[in-house]
Parts: sequence; C-alpha cells; structure tokens
Amino acid sequence: MSPATSILGPLRGLRVDLSKGTVDADELPREVALAYLGGRGLGSYVALRERLFEVEPFAPENLLVFAPGPLTGTGAPTSGRYSVTSRSPLTGTVFDGNSGGSFGVALRKLGLDYLIVAGACATPSCLAIGLEPAGADGGAAVATPPADGRPAVVVQSAGELWARDVPDTLARLRDLYPGCEAAVIGQAGEREVLFASIVNNHGRSVGRGGLGAVMGSKRLKAVVLAGRGKDRPPVADAERLSFVAYEAEKLLKANPITSQALPEFGTAVLVNVLDQAGALPTRNFRDSRFEHAAATSGEALRRGYVTRRAACRGCGIGCARRTATATASGEGPEYETIWSLGAACGVGDLAAIVEANYVCNRAGMDTITMGSTIACAMELAEEGALPGGPRFGDAAAVLSLCEATARGEGLGEELGQGSARLAARHGRPELSMSVKSLELPAYDPRGMTAQGLAFATSNRGGCHLRANMLGPEILGVPKMIDRFATLGKSGLLINLQNLNAVLDSLSLCKFTAFAMKEDYYARLLSAVWGETVEPQELLRIGERIWNAERLFNLAAGFTRDDDTLPPRLLREPVKAGPAAGRVVDLAPMLDEYYIARGWDEEGRPRAAKLEGLGLAAPVADARPARAATPAGGGSV
Amino acid sequence: MSSAVLEQFQRTGHDLFIAGLVSSHGGNMSVRQGDRILITRRGSMLAHLEERDIVDIGLEENDANVALASTEIVVHRAIYKATSALAIVHTHPPYAIAQSLVKDEIVPVDSEGSYLLHKVPVVEAQLTAGSAEVAELLPRRLKEYDLVMLRGHGPFAIGHLLEEAYQLTSVLEMTCRILTIGEGLGGQVKEYRKGSDQYGSW
Repeated sequence: MSPATSILGPLRGLRVDLSKGTVDADELPREVALAYLGGRGLGSYVALRERLFEVEPFAPENLLVFAPGPLTGTGAPTSGRYSVTSRSPLTGTVFDGNSGGSFGVALRKLGLDYLIVAGACATPSCLAIGLEPAGADGGAAVATPPADGRPAVVVQSAGELWARDVPDTLARLRDLYPGCEAAVIGQAGEREVLFASIVNNHGRSVGRGGLGAVMGSKRLKAVVLAGRGKDRPPVADAERLSFVAYEAEKLLKANPITSQALPEFGTAVLVNVLDQAGALPTRNFRDSRFEHAAATSGEALRRGYVTRRAACRGCGIGCARRTATATASGEGPEYETIWSLGAACGVGDLAAIVEANYVCNRAGMDTITMGSTIACAMELAEEGALPGGPRFGDAAAVLSLCEATARGEGLGEELGQGSARLAARHGRPELSMSVKSLELPAYDPRGMTAQGLAFATSNRGGCHLRANMLGPEILGVPKMIDRFATLGKSGLLINLQNLNAVLDSLSLCKFTAFAMKEDYYARLLSAVWGETVEPQELLRIGERIWNAERLFNLAAGFTRDDDTLPPRLLREPVKAGPAAGRVVDLAPMLDEYYIARGWDEEGRPRAAKLEGLGLAAPVADARPARAATPAGGGSV
Repeated sequence: MSSAVLEQFQRTGHDLFIAGLVSSHGGNMSVRQGDRILITRRGSMLAHLEERDIVDIGLEENDANVALASTEIVVHRAIYKATSALAIVHTHPPYAIAQSLVKDEIVPVDSEGSYLLHKVPVVEAQLTAGSAEVAELLPRRLKEYDLVMLRGHGPFAIGHLLEEAYQLTSVLEMTCRILTIGEGLGGQVKEYRKGSDQYGSW
C-alpha cells in the first residue's frame, strides 16, 4: 500500500522514578510497536511485562504510563489523543484512559513515544519535561540531566499548586511555563478519591478508573511539557497520508452522526435517542425511561447553556461544548454526565446538572462514577440502608454531594470510594450498578443485550468505551441488528472490542468508527510508518491487546464470576416502555463469547490462542487472592 | 440456529436473486459463530431458503455436514481463518463478471462506488469453484480489501454482518453496470473527484 521507506524504529521513552529522583532513557524494540502500536496497547504491554497485577494500586511500585500513538499529531483525523495506563485503584484491573487535547502531540514533539512514571515523591511535586525549572514559590527543584538526546526532566516542588483545583492549577502553570501542555489532578486526585481523573489544559480528561488518584498517591500534581517542540511527529509518506486523510474526512462529512448529530448537539444528542429506545437507565437502573429526558436533552442543552462548540486537536467533528449557567461557566456536560447526574439520580434540573458537572471538573472527578455513586446512595436511603441519605430527584443534594466528595466531608468521604464499596459497606452490594467495581454508563443493557455482554466482558469493568453496541443495536452502524436477541452477536462485539483497542492504541477518537472502517485506519498507519499494515493485521493487534489485558486481569485474580452484571439487570424485568419485560440472559451469551474468543469455559485464553498471538501467560497458577467484594479503603 | 439468523439468510438470499446477482441455484453465503460456520446448502436456492438449507459445520474440523455444505465451503473456511470476517457473500453478478474478463482491477467512477470500494482487485485461478487454489488466493487479498473479484466467476465479499457483505456486492454490480454503460458511450470521463488518480493505489 505504501511505497515509502519505513521509518518505524525502536520506541523512545523516558522512565522517571519519583522515589529515587532519577530519569533514564528507555527504549522498546520496533517489534513492540508492530505488536502493540502505542497508546493503550503499549501501556498494557508494559503493565503486563512489569507484573503490575502484583502491585497495590497506591503502592509506589505502581506505574503510570503516558503514551501517545503512532498517529498522534500526524494530521490523521482526530489524532490529538494520548493514553494513560496503570493498575486501577477502583477496579484492580489494568486500566487505561485516553483524552484529546494537545498533551500527546507535545510528547511526540519532544521525541517521546512514552513516559513511564514510577515511585512516589516525598512531597507534592510536578514533573516538567523539556522545560527550564520555574520556581513557583521558591520550592527546591531537582534537575536531572537530559539523557541520550531526550529532553531534560525536572522534578520540582508543587508548592502552592497543591490543593488548587484543576482550572487554577492549569492557569498557574500557563503563567509559569507559557505555551506549555499539562496534565494535572485536582483536589480529588490529591485526596485519592478512587475515581479521580487526570485533566489536560484543553479541559479533556482521562476520566475513569481513578488514574488521577494513582497520580495523587505519587504526590504528583502535574506533568508539564514544553508545548512548542520544534519537531513534528515523523511521517514516511506525507502525500499518501494526505490522500487517505482526505478520503477519511469525506466519509466523516458524509455521515450524519459525525457531520450533524455530534457537531450540532454534542454527545448529549443521545439523551433522547436512548430514552426513546427505552434504554436510558433511570433512578439507579430501576427504570429505563426518564420523564425529564427532553428537559435534560442535547437539544435543551443547546438552547439554554451552550456558548460555543469546541474540538480536540486535529478533529473536524467537534463534539465538545463550552457552556454557561447564570453563575458559572465551563466545559460540558457530555451525555454520560447529563445522565449520571440527571436521570440516574432522578434529577431533571439541567442547570443543576451543568453546575454539578463543573464541580466535578474543577475537582478532577469522573462524573459517571460520581453520579452513579450518588444514585446508589439514593436507593440505599430509600431502602432504609442509609438513614438520612439523599433521595431521588433532589438536585441540591447532587450538587452538594459532589462538593462534599471533592472535599472529603461527611457522606462525601464514603462516596469517594465508589458505589461498590458504598453498597457493600451498607449491606446491599447488589445496589451498586457496576461491573468489576466500575460504574456502568448510560445504556440499559436490558434494551440492548449485546451491550450487556460488552459490559460484562470489558477488561476495565463497566464501560462503554471498550465496545459500544450503540452502533449496531440502536443507530444501525454498520447495520441494524435485533437489539433484544441473545445469541449470534458475540462475534460482532469481539470485532468491536478489538477495533477499539486499535483506536486507543493509534490513538484516534472512536467517533471516527461511526463512519470509517479498519481499512482506513490501516492505510493511515501504513502511510505514517511507510510499512504496509493490512486491515486484518490491525484487528489482530487489537485482539492481542485484548488478550494481554485479559491475562493481566486473570493474574490479578479475576475469574468468570467477575464477567457479570448487577443482579438487577439479570433478574428484574424492565417495567415499561419499548424494552418492557426484558432482562439480560447473560450465561449463554458468555459461553458463546468465550468460544468465539478462543478461551476455555472459565474465560482463560487457550494455549493455541496465546501462541497464535505471540503471548505467554505471566503466571501459570500462582494467582494472588483478591477480595470478591471490595471493602472500604483503596485496596482491591 | 436462532430465528434472527435464519431471517438474515432469507432476506439477503431473496434480495440477491431479485437483484439479479445470482442465478436460480447459484451463489452462497455463510456466517461465522465462534468456531462454527453456518453456510448455505449445496444446490439451495437463495431466493427460497428454509432452515434445512442452512448447514452448521465446524470451522477448524470437518464433519459429516460437509456432504451438505456449499461447494465453496473450503474457500469460506479459509477466509474465516485468515480474516476477522463474520459473514461472507459470494455471487455471480453479470456486469461484474464481464468487467473482470477485461480488467485486472475495477476502479469505480461513480460516487457510491468510489466512497465504498475505491478499488476492487481481480484475481485469477484455473479451477474457479471450491478449489484449494482459490482458498489460498482469496484470503490473502481479503486481508486488504473487503471485496475481491474472482475473474470470470464472481466476487467474494466479507463483513461483520451478511447485510454488509451484500451491500458491497450490490454496489460492485451497480458500479460495473455504470462502467460498462459509460465505456459503451465511448467518451472521455469528466473527472469530478479530487484525488481519484490515486484510487488505483488504494
């Protein structure tokens, strides 16, 4: 496909040990790029190789792997992304998150394919790369020499930045390091709230799984990069890349989801879509339609609150929103946030939802887990298991509990542990709407059964970003399938899981997949590398990444029993609406899925599968015990 | 086999015949379900498929149902083993076959074909039906392209769903009709697409 000379060489990285105050040049052979690409794949590779499944998430030995992908910053559509991978304190699984913005592009301009952060600082610090030390408050700066042509790294006191919220931190960093790119934590990360996020200076978050808490446990307030590196990411065949990118943009512009729905309404366009399908979880999944859906919809958001559209770097879709209420302004909310702080809690006051979202953004917290944990508390209270707790529909309580969680006050201290620990502590674990302790997002799988299988088998817990069956089950992408059917959909799901692993590793936005197929991604990568990458090989890489993550989780003690859904979704039929009477019949779907994956009946990859993918199980039989039901505290 | 899957076979088979993409007993289709393949019965009429016309057979291991399966089972198996396809549609569309007899690749000039296909490679085999030669040849190209034309015989299209593979097949035949008509007109094609000179390298 590409006649150019290959530019694919070893991956260049840095390894910073905050405990020792050292920085070392790091390198991974080009075979790792061919096998795992970058981004999420690279992070999963490192996590498995370094046996993070044996490491407590908040132990200094846990790692944070910051990694852009081979397409980051190249001009491929939506290619401004990067990933962060670690072992999650919320789930205990391997966990990556990614976000747009320019942080990943800045890493690549500094000549870095990845950054590994190990250890923990003795006192709150910042990491500055490619920058001169900037004395924020006279705090001691520990400089480490540049290594092997890589940029200089400085570990510097966070000083007055510690305890600042996200916007204040970013503003101060921009003063200290004009033109910098930064990824920071807010107070939630500092306090090790188990769903604290990492936010970059374009307001985009590595949101889920508490990777911000891992950063907080390392007393690392910010990673700051020189934002104006002179070197653009290399491209082997720029003319070819331009042609393929043009063809890809044509598809994105021709597709009404990427050219109209998302640009016009943002992701919140889904509120009404899911409500009409009877798949909008309401009041902690007790209902599947929300009486205030229209009042909290993307259309309502646009009418009352949106001040302007925004887009990540390199993105022509532009799904992000700047909004304002009478008293505040900020980023979002996205669909999942409107749902979690709205329908999940029975709240139909959009202004309150928008402002609660701002609170989460300022503190650096994942809004899905925040809202779902409040919804869990509401049901616990209504069931008498949490006396004096909040009640469904109480908008003021949602706002105040977000603030209390950020500050660690009162019930907020408990909420900061997520819904699984909250529900277990109050004797009703079944009321946590989570998988592997990660709260489910805004899709009721009783109205889209393969989404239930997607949640159950997700390597990072209840998540729609590993594979979202919204496409084939609701939107008809690539084609409409029977959303209530039980069997015959596992293959489709597996392909989507593999493809999303590829997108997270390239790193591109998944929204492109509403219009593009794997052949476009393969051609983009072929042009950048100057090596032919076949579409089928790309999906094979996705399969390898998925299985590597599975091996990690098996080694961490997860079993088939963890590939499940909250009991409500398996046993309580939907009361009314288009999905009335439905539950998820998970067991046969799981059996079919394991067979299609080439795994045994317990969900362990068979030897032939591992051999075919060039993988080896990290442990044969020594699996450390893992608490079946998470108790309080940060360990899993 | 679930009723939903049978319905997909029936609807697609009916449409393939009505659209003139297969003769009365021509063509075949399959879907992959884990380590099993559901494939149309040898000699079945795609326009009139019933449950007995869908044969359940192993992907890796052969079994007695091979006596009932489509002649092309060997090719379908090879494709599934080499690609992430979950569905295959093989047809005998006349315009596409005609184009394959005079070209080594089919490059659409119409808008729909350009968007969805860009380019269709044409491959050649001496034994064109159910042969090991085709089973070796086709999967290699289907790693790069979702639709590949077997010269003089017909296209193999892959997808995650039968409907996807059917769509590609339908678009190919429409594209080839347009090409054939256009070439008959004899004039110079007035190019309207930026970058179309690079479609041959797709």
